[in-house]
Amino acid sequence: MTDAGSTAGPGQPPALAIRGLAKAFGATRALRGVDISIRAGEVRALLGENGSGKSTLIKILSGYHAADEGEVRVAGVVLPQGDPQASAALGLRFVHQNLGVIDTLTVAENVYLTAGYPVRAGTILERKVRAEVARDLARVGLSLNPDQRLEELTPAERTGVAVARSLRGSQPGEAAVLVLDEPTANLPENEVMRLLAIVRSVAAEGTAVLYVTHRLEEIFEVAHSVTVLRDGEEAVTAPIAELDHVAILHHMLGERLEQVEQSIESGRPTVQGPPMLGVRGLSASRLTDITLSVRPGEIVGIAGITGSGREELVGAIFGAIERTAGEVDVDGHPLKPLRPDLAIGFGVAFVPASRERSGGFMEHTARENLTLPRIRSFWRWPTLRLGQERADAAAWYERLRVRPPDRLEASLSSFSGGNQQKILFAKWLQCRPRVFLLEEPTQGVDVATKAFLHTQLANAAREGAAVFISSSDAEELVALCHRVLVLKEGRICAELSGSDLTTSHISYHSLGTAKRGDYA
Amino acid sequence: MKRDRPRLNLGLDRFSGLYIWALIIIVFSVWQPALFPTMATVHSVASEQAITGILALAVLIPLAAGAYDLSVGSTINLSCILVTELMANDHWGMVPSIVVTLLVGVLIGAVNGLLVVRLHIDSFIATLGMATIVAAVQTIVSGNNQPVPAEGTAWNNLTQTSVFGFQIVFVYLIVIAVVLWWMLQRTPAGRYLFAIGGNREAARLSGVKVSRYVWLSLILSGGLSGLGGVLYASLLGPSLTFGQGMLLPAFAAVFLGSTQIRPGRFNVWGTLLAVYVLATGVKGLQLITGVQWLNDMFNGVALIGAVGFAVWRQRAAARRRLVGARAGDGTPSAPGGPPPGPGNAGMLPGHQVSGQASSGAAQARAVQA
Repeated sequence: MTDAGSTAGPGQPPALAIRGLAKAFGATRALRGVDISIRAGEVRALLGENGSGKSTLIKILSGYHAADEGEVRVAGVVLPQGDPQASAALGLRFVHQNLGVIDTLTVAENVYLTAGYPVRAGTILERKVRAEVARDLARVGLSLNPDQRLEELTPAERTGVAVARSLRGSQPGEAAVLVLDEPTANLPENEVMRLLAIVRSVAAEGTAVLYVTHRLEEIFEVAHSVTVLRDGEEAVTAPIAELDHVAILHHMLGERLEQVEQSIESGRPTVQGPPMLGVRGLSASRLTDITLSVRPGEIVGIAGITGSGREELVGAIFGAIERTAGEVDVDGHPLKPLRPDLAIGFGVAFVPASRERSGGFMEHTARENLTLPRIRSFWRWPTLRLGQERADAAAWYERLRVRPPDRLEASLSSFSGGNQQKILFAKWLQCRPRVFLLEEPTQGVDVATKAFLHTQLANAAREGAAVFISSSDAEELVALCHRVLVLKEGRICAELSGSDLTTSHISYHSLGTAKRGDYA
Repeated sequence: MKRDRPRLNLGLDRFSGLYIWALIIIVFSVWQPALFPTMATVHSVASEQAITGILALAVLIPLAAGAYDLSVGSTINLSCILVTELMANDHWGMVPSIVVTLLVGVLIGAVNGLLVVRLHIDSFIATLGMATIVAAVQTIVSGNNQPVPAEGTAWNNLTQTSVFGFQIVFVYLIVIAVVLWWMLQRTPAGRYLFAIGGNREAARLSGVKVSRYVWLSLILSGGLSGLGGVLYASLLGPSLTFGQGMLLPAFAAVFLGSTQIRPGRFNVWGTLLAVYVLATGVKGLQLITGVQWLNDMFNGVALIGAVGFAVWRQRAAARRRLVGARAGDGTPSAPGGPPPGPGNAGMLPGHQVSGQASSGAAQARAVQA
């Protein structure tokens, strides 16, 4: 990993040099003088909690914001501030978490979406398109059929297509800078390795990569060096070899680290009484004959690779998706399939994996999102008691420390991912669920918020809820659960608890013997 | 945090229609001081547009829940003909004729609901088909002959009684608007309708009985269109063709209204404001020149101009808000989120701020799953 920058000669300026960059929004100082320098061919991980200034930094690079102070040089050339076209012309390229690819179009169509097709006399030159797409994909180490539609590809391949597209127009070897903004946030574990290979092959040809992520594990695989931002300042910049997991967390969180550790050590809730949630012989989509039960106070996890049925199980229990066989009951009451309204009536709450698609109302206010399932309780003929609704929402804001604290009437989409998730947690916690079902409860959420949400789940269990979580994050399951069930090919293949409950055990059972070595 | 920047611009963003209205009134008052600024003008504009207003409110209810009802134009026309036929031809009493006509409107709404909710046909298609079918039923009922107008003092008084100089049909509009505002803004049912319109799947998973409320919204729009037809027959007499001509103005008012008062959301008072701003402009122009094409031209230009302006303002505001809310904030969340409500495409903040090719655009018109 120490050969970083070997492609750049000694006299050459760095591919990206940021000096004294500062930006304030009103009273909030998002960046307070940040220096970053990345050489050609180097992969630099950029870490920091939500609110540490990462987004602002990226938006200045992309020309979306203009910095108040400081300058950015790309291969020695000063970047004009607040000019997206200049940013692209200098070779700065961006791939966001939301890839901006269109699933129903083909690989070639996606690659050419933002560039013009080569044409002669108004006709697209098919052969040239194919050759160029093949070349673009080769740069990211992919070899795909250009006529394949994006929806047929794996998530890592789709990200690869987005990277290939962003690099279009820059020649190989040119000092381009690629900014990857949380490329793995929505990727299942087994896809992460493939994406990291793509990142390596981009860097290998001399592109500097600024790699933003919340997942600490993968930076040890791919990054040459690390910059950690905290509260708008550079907490540390160091080669990866000089840092470990704990050191990075310490730099990210500062004194907040203690808080996090306390919440982790406060122990698991006690399990009591007969099962609150019972599932017998459930089959749905890829799932076959699933039987399980969760008792009050118990936190049970579901692990498994993508396609194992992990994504469907929680929804099938709740009634979000159709089930073909089997029974579900809550405290002895049978749940009818496809009737979320009845399930909620029995005290079940469900936080789905995708906030945008099925969890939240992105353009509605935070208050409306929060109070929807309980709105009837504010109804006194002839009107909804809006004052009480607002007071209730404000109380939950405070309880879950939603930031910024006074924006009850802002649209959900204007909050960061972590705060959106807190609002959706509040939405269901206020219903005092007896069964709390969650999918990917902390996806795309920073470390401190993650620990905070885990504490909330543990508290809900302590108050007697049966908590059932599906997650692709094995560490999360190990940290939180009493038991973890591992799914493989639609069936439960293992139940882990006690000393067997480790990430290695989860990976081992999820993957079977097939590719164990890759993930040890 | 005193960064609620939009508040500074609230006047212009939310009430631009009021300013434009005032401007129109001033301009025409100066231009035609003898004819325009009179109570007679006020009264005639108020009652002439009352039925358009009622039809716009009918359209508004299913739109709030993300469903189009394109059959309202045919329904209002059929009910106008039906109530006249029943009274003038079949010599029914006024009350039973009206009751039967309203029930027919409700029935049409219920069939729309059946198609959309039970058979899962896209509301755009289902109600477009129903519009044609209802038009055919109208021809069966009328034999394609314009019926003789119904007569009677009670029948005329139904809409023409004077209340403070206004014809009572305008009072009906206001009453309906207040009830509808109450339903949408002050009852759980209203929250559920907007929740469905905002994100159908999330609404379902939050326990909202989506089918029931979509069905209800279509029944209400059918019934309200039926009422509009009855009032039209009483006010202006039967006509075989007016309905289709009212469909687009009604939709235009609702969409225009969604840029006012509560921008980005369909709302009652914005809708009525839009109806009357347009009507005032047309009225003034008619006093100056008598050309035939004026009405349509003015409505079209005003709709595009006003919505275009609102989109532009909202983009600017969304950009500012984005800067404010995400100052130094980590994950950029959900750009290009779920498909927005009908027609809100491009109006809602957040939808176009992602700065990248948004796959949401392709689905912008998807309404009913």
